[in-house]
Amino acid sequence: MDATEVRQVRAALLADPEVGAGNVLPKLIEHGAGPDGPGITFDVEVDGHPAWEPLTLGALRDRVAARAAWLHERGVRPRDPVAVYVSSSADCLLNFMALTWLGAIPALMNGGLPSAIATGFIERLRGTGVITDAAHREILGDQPVDVAIHADAAEVGTGDPARAPGYYRHHRDDPIAITHSSGPTRVPAAVVHSHASLFAAIRLVHLESARAPERTLCVFPAAHAAGIISTQLALCNRHEHMFLSAQGGQGGPVGHGAQFNSSGEAVLDAIERWRPTGVYGFAVTWSELARFDLSARDLSSVRLWFNTGDCAHEAHVRPLVAAGSHVVYTREHGATLAPGSKFIDGIGSSEMGHSAFRVVHTTSTTRYGRCVGKPYPFADVVLLNTADGTEVPAGQVGHVGLKSPTLALGYWNDSVNTYRTRFGGYYLTGDLMYRDEDGFYYHVDREIDAVDLGGGDWLYTSMSEERIMMRCPDVRDCTVIAGRDSGGAIVTDVFLQLAAGASEDVDRTPAVREALGEPAAGTLRRVVAVRDEDIVTGPTGKVRKFLMRERHLARTVSAAG
Amino acid sequence: MIDSIRQFIFSSLREMNYDTDGIDDDTQLGPRGADLASLSLAELAVRVEDEFGVTFSEEEAEELAGKTVGEFCVIVAERMPAPDAEAAPTAEAASKAEVS
Repeated sequence: MDATEVRQVRAALLADPEVGAGNVLPKLIEHGAGPDGPGITFDVEVDGHPAWEPLTLGALRDRVAARAAWLHERGVRPRDPVAVYVSSSADCLLNFMALTWLGAIPALMNGGLPSAIATGFIERLRGTGVITDAAHREILGDQPVDVAIHADAAEVGTGDPARAPGYYRHHRDDPIAITHSSGPTRVPAAVVHSHASLFAAIRLVHLESARAPERTLCVFPAAHAAGIISTQLALCNRHEHMFLSAQGGQGGPVGHGAQFNSSGEAVLDAIERWRPTGVYGFAVTWSELARFDLSARDLSSVRLWFNTGDCAHEAHVRPLVAAGSHVVYTREHGATLAPGSKFIDGIGSSEMGHSAFRVVHTTSTTRYGRCVGKPYPFADVVLLNTADGTEVPAGQVGHVGLKSPTLALGYWNDSVNTYRTRFGGYYLTGDLMYRDEDGFYYHVDREIDAVDLGGGDWLYTSMSEERIMMRCPDVRDCTVIAGRDSGGAIVTDVFLQLAAGASEDVDRTPAVREALGEPAAGTLRRVVAVRDEDIVTGPTGKVRKFLMRERHLARTVSAAG
Repeated sequence: MIDSIRQFIFSSLREMNYDTDGIDDDTQLGPRGADLASLSLAELAVRVEDEFGVTFSEEEAEELAGKTVGEFCVIVAERMPAPDAEAAPTAEAASKAEVS
């Protein structure tokens, strides 16, 4: 890619206030990005275009325009919510771009959502249409989906690109996408993003950063704010961008019940095949990669691992930064490659729109212990005592309040939760953190998972998991669940997913007790090695502690009865 | 001191094959100005580190894209060991000079 063109296109995007998350593709072309430059590469065939073969920007535009034409001819209009419930990243992202082209509001659904939840989500949208692939029509089965337009993802690409109407002129506050949170239980919250909010971080940070030729491999779920942002970022920076269809899968359908058990190998295969400089994923992907001896694979192309969603565990990060390579510059030898890569951890959520924090790990850094770094310059972060609205001092745990141009508009058709999560002008992220004297923030837990032990003491499950994993190197992942038993006493169960070859017979209780510390250790009821399928996860791989607590308490009641 | 830092930055940029015509104290190093690529920023940082005995963390080197030439000169000048550092009377004073 010609550096001058990259420079000119980035400068033009920055200078154009109309550019936002709803029109990146047409704006790129309008601002002179060449049609032969990079578009997106998918791991599935797109309208006859082979899998793994890059779609140029021009070809991408045609594939999107074909869908826009098809959907427009079937009556999709501006402001129409249209659900997209598909398996492949291609079906998800191409329909996202086509619907925003028309000014409609794509509601992107994770392909792993089960039938009843998917139906509930679509019902709550009160939408105009739904786009499904064959696998998801089967999942929906006889469930009634009351929308005017039913579109087959295999057909929408047959439209004539020349018949697409002109792209919609969004206002900065226009809704351009609905994504969903992983949701602790039942139908997940439908999060609405605006034209400006989902592009804010790209405009304020990424387009202001020094350009670099990159080749990215995206392992985010496509139906997620992070999937949209990473794709638009790659397009704006004119990077080569490969988007896997699963958080580890090789283009196969991510249907109901899909697990991530074997996905680590698929990610490693994809890295060796695509040779990315950057790999973007959620914490679940790094946990999966922890199963493998990374030194046995060729990961030398990778300079950067980027994490968002949950904060990543040190035990998962260290093997990654030991792999890959980084560029060093010396006066004697100029630019050369040295072993070891960089891991950027950016805790975030659908509602936050983009990570608000950032910390960099390398082989020579030591700032772990769930340190999430410092806020991005665009993020106004406060740690609040929600009882009296005051900010807590350094060293004390508080509720994270965020003001940011990246924030979602709210929850679609759910004013109750939209306003319940607002406090003093801030959005409450649901996270608990403390800040040290140097301004670094540390994530201790989700608010709903932390347990009050009385007397000012708390049990923070996420921080406990981090400590347990650092004390037990043969534990690959760990889930701490705490709740009240049938007698009302607080009990803590620790579920360990062991590394390959680790013995189940080893008594890890003393190490767990030490990791929990007093008085939390006093609540420890059992430490058990479990199989992966015993851990309840949502469609993005996030552990659903709410459901695990319910199961855990049910067991207690049953035992008591 | 600022003048010699500025002069060094300009000569470095020329050695790195950047055209310095039109670049002045108000020109940003990143995309809004000189448009140094990521690797070039790293190279410039290393050259300045070698020449003036200062250090930049990786995050700081990345953030240089948003700084102007003038701001960069000031940052370097502020980080340079004080001229009398060798004769610093106490370890505490020397340590402060290093940090600031």
